[in-house]
Amino acid sequence: MRVIKFQLNGREVETDAPPTARLIDVLRDEFAYIGSKEGCGDGECGACSVFVNTLVQNSCLIPVGAIEGAEIMTIDGFSQTELFQMISECYSEAGAVQCGFCIPGMVMASAALLSKNPHPTEEEIREGISGNLCRCTGYNMIVDAIDLAAKKGEGLW
Amino acid sequence: MGTVLSYRLASLEETIAQLSREDCQIMAGGTDLMVQHKSPMGAPARFDKPVMFIDHLKELKQIDQVNQDLHIGACCTYTEILEHPLIPNIFKVAIKQIAAPAIRNRGTLGGNICNASPAGDTLPLLYIFNAQIRLRSSKGERVVGIQDFILGPRRVDRLREEILTEIILPEMLADRIVFEKVANRRADAIAKISFAGSMRLEGGRVGEARFAFGAVGPTIVRSLDIEQKLKGEAFPLDPKVVDGVVAYFDRIITPIDDHRSTAAYRKTVALRLLRHFLETM
Repeated sequence: MRVIKFQLNGREVETDAPPTARLIDVLRDEFAYIGSKEGCGDGECGACSVFVNTLVQNSCLIPVGAIEGAEIMTIDGFSQTELFQMISECYSEAGAVQCGFCIPGMVMASAALLSKNPHPTEEEIREGISGNLCRCTGYNMIVDAIDLAAKKGEGLW
Repeated sequence: MGTVLSYRLASLEETIAQLSREDCQIMAGGTDLMVQHKSPMGAPARFDKPVMFIDHLKELKQIDQVNQDLHIGACCTYTEILEHPLIPNIFKVAIKQIAAPAIRNRGTLGGNICNASPAGDTLPLLYIFNAQIRLRSSKGERVVGIQDFILGPRRVDRLREEILTEIILPEMLADRIVFEKVANRRADAIAKISFAGSMRLEGGRVGEARFAFGAVGPTIVRSLDIEQKLKGEAFPLDPKVVDGVVAYFDRIITPIDDHRSTAAYRKTVALRLLRHFLETM
């Protein structure tokens, strides 16, 4: 059986998982990075969002065989960065977190948006998190948090 | 079942060579296939054939203009197409309505075509642009029109040894071009109805009109006959002409009831989108 090598949160790793295993399962079960959640398993809720070569993607839709040589960053790795600290602070300040299940994905989507567009309009923020479902907040506090992160994190993104 | 055999070869040539030897499930982004083949309880997705991964192949990720035609590599993601300066704006309007950023970073144009969903978001526009599909195999290559390539839901005219390499988009001159998608919400939604239309005027008359409907039949619905008949009609169109076109599509559109919508709703909205398109400029 072929081994699949990739970079995970800055570390070179390999897995002998079957190539059609989903990345979300390999991350959680084999590498114990349990920050990424499985909500729907259909690519609709965004709770499993990770960065693949810096682009936000749904890890429930990615067969691990397709990521040979890729750089994967999960919320577990991202939480060690200055960018995360800024987002985290703003989510707290805006009261954007209730049950928390969607938050790892929301944070990844927020970071993906801000690194592409450091000064998003409200419409663009809503578009940026349009692939992430939150059943508690009604989204408004999350939108506020991202807006705050854009302003307070000026120059970071 | 045992472990699934898969391939992720270094080049398109090697991929084509392997496809000539073995029937494989070709996988580009996997955003449809991984859901369709999902196993319960986090077990690997199940396929009855070896999986051929192709989304890393650089040969399938180019976007070039050749004469007046745009050549789009089959594995260009929606995001790559959205951000490319050569892509016609109306395609960007449609692609922005597909899913959400994370899926657009992974799903590909070639995948959307080969998945051949009646509701495929890129399909109505590809039809009215008269897009061509280039297929390659170890025996050579062929180019086929999109309307001949898509045979029905999840069925395309691709031989098992063939791979879709690029989509050729001819230039289209139009004074007006629209794409409409009707769905439950703006993101992550599959169309209940989609519609694409284009109109070119020549001295106050219709020079060329094209329109296509998605999600109202097994494949995209387009009628070259009715488009031909509209040629030369004075614009704005006479209400009788509009009524005639709408009545014609009322006969040939055959939507179904499903969990997303009803046949009656689909037909009503499809015909209203058509009427609105014909009556406004």
